[in-house]
Amino acid sequence: MEEPCLGHTGAEAVLNLQSNSTIFIAYHPHFGSHDDIMLLELDEKLLPDVLHQRVVVRGQPDEDSVLCTQSKTYAIKFVGTSNSVFLVPPSDQSEFSDNTVENQQVVASVFKVAPGSMELTEVAPKLDKLKMLLFENPYRAEEDTEMEDLEAINKGLYKWDDLVDMVQASDDELRSGLQALSAVEIDGYWRVVDEKYMDMLLRMLLHSSVLNDWSLDALNEDEVVNVLQSDGFPCKLAEHCLHVYGNKVDSGCVWKLNERTVCVHFAREILRGEKRKMESFMEEWMRKIPEGMQASFDMLEGEVLTERHGVNTWVHAFSVSSLPSAPAERFSILFKERPKWEWKDLEPYIRDLNVPGLSLEGLLLKFTRRTQPTMDKQPVFSAR
Amino acid sequence: MQIKVKCSCGEKCPEWAIVELQGVVDVQPQFQDRLQNLEIGQLCRPSSQEVYTFTVGYHELTGSKVPLKKPLLVLKKVKRSDVDRSGGDEDSARVELEVIGIIRHRILFKTRPKALISKPQSTVKERAGASDSIVPIK
Repeated sequence: MEEPCLGHTGAEAVLNLQSNSTIFIAYHPHFGSHDDIMLLELDEKLLPDVLHQRVVVRGQPDEDSVLCTQSKTYAIKFVGTSNSVFLVPPSDQSEFSDNTVENQQVVASVFKVAPGSMELTEVAPKLDKLKMLLFENPYRAEEDTEMEDLEAINKGLYKWDDLVDMVQASDDELRSGLQALSAVEIDGYWRVVDEKYMDMLLRMLLHSSVLNDWSLDALNEDEVVNVLQSDGFPCKLAEHCLHVYGNKVDSGCVWKLNERTVCVHFAREILRGEKRKMESFMEEWMRKIPEGMQASFDMLEGEVLTERHGVNTWVHAFSVSSLPSAPAERFSILFKERPKWEWKDLEPYIRDLNVPGLSLEGLLLKFTRRTQPTMDKQPVFSAR
Repeated sequence: MQIKVKCSCGEKCPEWAIVELQGVVDVQPQFQDRLQNLEIGQLCRPSSQEVYTFTVGYHELTGSKVPLKKPLLVLKKVKRSDVDRSGGDEDSARVELEVIGIIRHRILFKTRPKALISKPQSTVKERAGASDSIVPIK
């Protein structure tokens, strides 16, 4: 506690009011609406982030602002009050100081009446917008050669600084969002690479492995990049191919191709734009998969759906990565695709949903109707 | 668009205070447009407890000092023109939010005001009870 001192004219006088004493509360000489001053309620644990200037407010004029720390995103909501909230600044803040001491009486001055305060709620980052922005102009094969028409090429290209300006997500969330989209930074711009181009790259890599007798479990980064470059692929994209389809072994420059990612890639290639009978799909899939790899239908969880028509089972592409991340939109598309879902089919399409404060069970309760004809049958989920 | 939240106070944020009461304080019409420096009332702490009275005109409110469950930051919107940034920024000014204070306590008056006009009556009561030696005066 500070020692009581006559002449304190601000918040200290109010907060440290001694027993048996009285102070005057008056309107500040600069009292006014002061709309540029606002109150933000926040959790004690976020305080260090704010005091060390690690938070930022993000949003376009037509969006509701969010507050981002390094790792999380919070919605900002204004909560009004009907009480009179008199704000009393401390006396030592020169811009608000008011050194009136009337007849030796202490006066604490009210600078503003606060109409309410802003509150924060943790929310999922708005990464669908990131996806939308990056898919405006995916990297395509033509770009390897054509460099002239810069004007046209630069349209729909975004640097990191553009993305943090436009996407409501924290830096960490944005970074993992870029990774989830398999985006790559090319000449300073974050890009997704066209699927056909990735297919070309992967085939060339597999082809070269056969020619050069490389093991798909131990690919030397320099060798791979050199060979792909000599085939006309830019260095950056050759590296990107290893990042997308492989995992680094140890900390060196050796890569192991990821069996699931490679197999899923070929399944998607086969099913692009058409549905296939199960047998013919499986036959072609097995044929396309590189030697030494084992494909199994389980790998396609969250990538394909099957349906029975008479005696035939058909399979078609339905990738979770193509679905929106907002739960309401996600469930609406899911039930458009299929009015009734069994849990084992549904789970791969909703397990990535991230709603702070709401579990997967909570989401199901909110967005689905659960029916279970008899106890021994699997529950079925339909639209609410 | 990004708005940086700036803070120049480091760990030692100046503490502001809130005096909060229900409803509104009406100002007499003749002072309506010159509130500056006008007295609102007297804040008194009659005992060593965290109990306070706030006397506004003929009304007395009783309340207490309560810690906020979560702290409130006082933010000020500042427009900064980028003088040092060369290359002619198309945005004339960049908006920043500056942390200028923190609030951890408020003196909250959540009861209805007691009219001080009724004081004469209480003195009458006191006098009536004077024969019973000690009378608590509230």
